[in-house]
Amino acid sequence: MTQAIKINNLNYQYDDTQTLFDDFNLTIESGQWVALVGHNGSGKSTLAKLVLGLIAANAGEITVFGVPLTVETVHEIRGQIGMVFQNPDNQFVGATVADDVAFGLENQQLPSNDMPSRIDEALNIVGMQAFKDREPHTLSGGQKQRVALASVLALAPKIIILDEATAMLDPDGRDTVMQTLQALKARFGKALTLITITHDMDEATLADRVVVINDGQLILDGTPAAVFSQRDLMHDNGLALPFAGELAAQMQPAPANYLDERELIQWLSRLKK
Amino acid sequence: MAITFEKVNFSYGAGTTLAHAILHDVTVNMPSGQVTAIVGQTGSGKSTLVQHINGLLKPTQGRVVVDDFELTARTKEKQLMQLRQKVGIVFQFPENQLFANSVLEDVMYAPLNFGADKVAAQAAAETALRRVGVAEALWQKSPFELSGGQMRRVAMAGTLASDPSVVVLDEPAAGLDPKGQAELLQLVLELKSLGKTVVFISHHMDHVVAVADQVVVMHDGRVVAKDTPAVLFNRDLDWFKKMKLDLPKAGQFAEKLTAAGMKLPERPLTLTQLATAINTEVGHE
Repeated sequence: MTQAIKINNLNYQYDDTQTLFDDFNLTIESGQWVALVGHNGSGKSTLAKLVLGLIAANAGEITVFGVPLTVETVHEIRGQIGMVFQNPDNQFVGATVADDVAFGLENQQLPSNDMPSRIDEALNIVGMQAFKDREPHTLSGGQKQRVALASVLALAPKIIILDEATAMLDPDGRDTVMQTLQALKARFGKALTLITITHDMDEATLADRVVVINDGQLILDGTPAAVFSQRDLMHDNGLALPFAGELAAQMQPAPANYLDERELIQWLSRLKK
Repeated sequence: MAITFEKVNFSYGAGTTLAHAILHDVTVNMPSGQVTAIVGQTGSGKSTLVQHINGLLKPTQGRVVVDDFELTARTKEKQLMQLRQKVGIVFQFPENQLFANSVLEDVMYAPLNFGADKVAAQAAAETALRRVGVAEALWQKSPFELSGGQMRRVAMAGTLASDPSVVVLDEPAAGLDPKGQAELLQLVLELKSLGKTVVFISHHMDHVVAVADQVVVMHDGRVVAKDTPAVLFNRDLDWFKKMKLDLPKAGQFAEKLTAAGMKLPERPLTLTQLATAINTEVGHE
């Protein structure tokens, strides 16, 4: 398996004195959906900024598809990574939705003949094609985030990082963004590596792998079921389990293994004849 | 300090051809010393409603009464100072409104503005910062050096420092991690215990259940329900779909259990209620 991102012996200090990452290691395989979770201030967004070369590490090596991140390679690497941020209002530049998606393509100096089809396709994937002539500020938060995702998709990145992209959305908006991500994974499969930074554990259950960090340390790393089996450790790190996991812990008797929501409902309905 | 809306209509551009009606015939009261949650889908008029409580918006028709202050279309700007001393609003993402050179100066701004001297303003700011849990080590820092969660607290302290009797919070927990959310709910309960009237807008029904004495449901600019959480969340499921409202997570789970063949006697609102109901149900085997 190819390695999309490999972080080796990373060391990072902020304010010149405060150590956040000390000898941190993490490898993300190509095509994985990884949920990076941790409470506010745990270092998860900083990690994304380090990978994008927006801030520089004090020591260690970051490679993206085998290319070490350096001053010379940073632009090439950023070209492979699309990023969607938390605040839907801070990432628009275009007068219309289509203009906004075009902005990134123009920056890449794509021939203008190719642009309309790329824009249409990207908006289609996120279900926003009907809105292409709308002004971005008239959209709901969830729609804005889907346009932000389309702008990223139009550039055909190999990796997409969403940094708490649903945290500011209402439940409707959150659901449509999560459904869009699932559709993306179904469409691109192994060709797309997806990293979702979140503290919503119900979102994290959708990923292939959950990585928990706190104070720059890797606390847990595994499948959602494996990570969410560690209830005490999650709580110690300021995190809760998904709702079904917290409920299962209150059951008498409790199920022997971690069950996701669907499994827990099945398990319970079998108890009751 | 009670808040009453009487037949309030609000339109942007009232009296012009571009008039756009947002609130329709809103009559509702928010009792003194209690916590009232305002819920409803995006665009239902929640933020417009609460902006009337401190006179940022004035009713096009009807009136809003806060304690002994009456707000109508005719209320003069200079009278509003009196209302704004009673009512503090914390907007969505209040960290965007920080501006001063230090945390302490930022929080002192409102009391100074309301006429407190420097010593009194500083004392009020320190009390507010302690209340929201901002460590003293941060008080002399620039607010822009802080983390998002810390900035949120500083902004809240800025509103609490002038000691308003009514505190309005617009989506205060948005974007906070679980610990931050729990601390925020604790703060709401603390404000209530200090005798303040709290109004908060939320999309999180679990937060509503945790702290609200009553819930006001907005839909298309109208108040369509006002009940205690226990009564409201026992309404028919179809009603919630129509209003595009979530049930609390425990209620959602119970509905899925029902679909799978386990019907609970009544809809649980919290994890504990749900767990107890299931354990009882299974224990009857």
